[in-house]
Amino acid sequence: MIVPSTVAVRLPDKPAMGIPLVTMRGIVKIFGGITALGGVDLDIYPGEVHAILGENGAGKSTLMKILSGIHAPSAGTITIDDKPYAALTPGQAAHAGISIIYQELSVINELSALENLFVGRIPVLRRFGVPTVDWRRMRREAATVLTRLGLDIDLETPVGELPIAHRQMIEIAKSLMRDARILVMDEPTSSLTNVEVERLFALVRQLRADGTAILFISHKLDEVRTIGDRFSVLKDGVTSGTGMVADTTNDDLVRKMVGRDVKRTFLNEGAVDRGAQPVLRVRDVTSVDRKRVVDVGFDVYSGEILGFAGLVGSGRTELMNCLFGTMARASGRIELNGRDVTPKGPIEALKSGMAYITEARRQTGFMPNFSIKDNIVISQCLKAAPLRGIWGLIHPGPETESARQQHKNLSIKCASIHQNITELSGGNQQKVLIGKWLATNPDLFIFDEPTRGIDVGAKSEIYAIMRNLSKAGKAIIMVSSELPEILAVCDRIAIFRAGQIVKIIDSHSATEEQILHFALNGR
Amino acid sequence: MTREKLIKFWDYYGTVCILLVIVVLFGALSPTYFLQSDNIVQIFVQSSITILTALGEFFAILIAGIDLSIGSIVALAGILTAKLMVAGMDPLLSVLIGGVLVGIVLGAFNGMLVNYTGLHPFIITLGTNAIFRGVTMIISGANPVFGLPFSFIDGLGGNIWIFPAPVVLALSMAVILWFITTNTRVGRNIYALGGNRESAYFSGVDIKLHTLIVFMISGLCAGLAGVLTTARLGAAEPTAGISFETYAIASAIIGGTSFFGGKGRIPSVVVGGLIIGTISNGLNLLKIQTFYQLVVMGSLIIAAVALDRMIARAR
Repeated sequence: MIVPSTVAVRLPDKPAMGIPLVTMRGIVKIFGGITALGGVDLDIYPGEVHAILGENGAGKSTLMKILSGIHAPSAGTITIDDKPYAALTPGQAAHAGISIIYQELSVINELSALENLFVGRIPVLRRFGVPTVDWRRMRREAATVLTRLGLDIDLETPVGELPIAHRQMIEIAKSLMRDARILVMDEPTSSLTNVEVERLFALVRQLRADGTAILFISHKLDEVRTIGDRFSVLKDGVTSGTGMVADTTNDDLVRKMVGRDVKRTFLNEGAVDRGAQPVLRVRDVTSVDRKRVVDVGFDVYSGEILGFAGLVGSGRTELMNCLFGTMARASGRIELNGRDVTPKGPIEALKSGMAYITEARRQTGFMPNFSIKDNIVISQCLKAAPLRGIWGLIHPGPETESARQQHKNLSIKCASIHQNITELSGGNQQKVLIGKWLATNPDLFIFDEPTRGIDVGAKSEIYAIMRNLSKAGKAIIMVSSELPEILAVCDRIAIFRAGQIVKIIDSHSATEEQILHFALNGR
Repeated sequence: MTREKLIKFWDYYGTVCILLVIVVLFGALSPTYFLQSDNIVQIFVQSSITILTALGEFFAILIAGIDLSIGSIVALAGILTAKLMVAGMDPLLSVLIGGVLVGIVLGAFNGMLVNYTGLHPFIITLGTNAIFRGVTMIISGANPVFGLPFSFIDGLGGNIWIFPAPVVLALSMAVILWFITTNTRVGRNIYALGGNRESAYFSGVDIKLHTLIVFMISGLCAGLAGVLTTARLGAAEPTAGISFETYAIASAIIGGTSFFGGKGRIPSVVVGGLIIGTISNGLNLLKIQTFYQLVVMGSLIIAAVALDRMIARAR
């Protein structure tokens, strides 16, 4: 048994760790033509804290889902206890002792801690032949586990009333009661306070000492350094590095996470006049919870594309919603061309000349029961425009004309503009939504993850559309989690972290490392 | 391609096909009476109240909601219209205030409650259904209102030119609402709201305003149905309109209106109302007792919708 110590690295090198519990070799996963994983190798040894690092979309979640049997890999083998599998079922993964604790905890808030620990496997006691719940045994077993983990949690309280840290502990305890040998923790510290993080780490160290393998997924490099023994970095779906945490530097890790030394393409020409009045001026925008967006201010000039980079969950989409009036603000002033517009809702935002292409096409983008034409003209009709007929009547002629114009401009691939929008590909749906806002002739465009889930060809078309808009003098904001894209398309990049802009840099001099550094560390 | 055409055909004319099947069925079972021209006129007259309430229900279902309060609105509007006339008010003015205005106001009450509480219309109208019925009972003392002017009863019971007045009223309402759904921005915005509420919101559609309009239309239709019911009975009954919502919802759904919102057409809803009217007329002619009629009616509703779903799933 290895005695835990405050020193993170106890193991000189691999052989001392014995035989791996799980070996993943050449794991490939293809989702409908898009390669999420392109050959990942991963060894998991007993009694190690193995940090999994990678940018947004590098393939971490996909890999974990393969490990837990949710997804079947397209190629590759997973070896558990010398037994090779082409794919695991959730049952096999659970049987092998693989347990995942997701960021969104899966405890049932309405049940007590005790009930949560035994969900799905409540012990039965036959009283007079009638099966009843064996509460005594549950309490006894639960107490054993909690004592072992050094936790003091009231077992009778509904879990929803406990702090998040306790809920997480309950989930860990639940995994251990199911004999977990490999515990995957997905961003476990994201909603914990410093003290709670310390307690979690103490628990992790104890589990490690007992021989449990812990896969620790985190964006926070200092935490990886505190708790991690080994690391594996994923980049674009392949393993870009693996080794001992102690033998590497943070800069080294960041380089492995981005490390794309392919030559950069610049779509931006850098001819923005920042002496003039900005098209968009944002001051002191704070969301109503004073947490997700805090005191944000920036300017966007005519012909400029301002990118927003940052980690998922850093509050970029929330900021855009604050600008568009679809999320309540505690404070803030938004000016378009020097005029205070500060919209109370999307209707005012639309009328004042803003356009918002949201990140979720299906949820907040199009109307699935509408044709391409109707999806394009709906907002245009609401804005004061020639389309607006007397007595609220629809003018079919001008509407069709307007939709045709967008269809031609954006080269939307469809048989007819009267086709239902759900019959189009993702990229073409996105173009319809861009067309919808183009038709309202706005001064400011907000693109939130405009290329998410669309193929490479359509992506470059959307970049071209955005650059053309900027040439026409529009101000554009682009939120994107893909660093190469944001570097290529934007003129300046605002790096967002924990609800605030930490830095605005010129994209010509920026590098992926630099952006990631600020997004992770904040300075 | 033929398959696609078939599906398109069913979308437009499926409800008419069901109606034809039912007509043929009753025609065969009761050849001497059912297909008489008098009886066919009678079917239209009987269906007009169902069609009116179904038109309102159509809008509520179109935004993925529902209006369970229409039966009580029918009663309350009927009682108020009757009270106004008995108090000596001109019948036409009474209808405009007691039927039209009261219907719109009660509908607006539903709409505002939905908007301000954010609760599903099911809950709100379940509650207001009881509230409106209670108010009806309080106002009427649970007694029917008799002594209505002949001009009112004869006017709505007679013909306009050669057409029965209730049919003219229901069908003109259908035409006006059909025009609104297909040719106005308000109509399209309501479809947008039903198709995807969030997307409509982000596109700048005034969600609350259009929800309010929908319930006002539903209330108006129920109010008019209350006036027609009163004229037909020759008195205002405080218990009128009970279970009207069942037939209204059934008509809208048989007419292909999607419970998930955003899909449906007024002409099909009118045909849906005719189907309900035809079934009830045919069962009467076959001298099937009322209690058995309920069983048959319920089964036919389920069968019609199941058939429609089966065809929808086949695509």
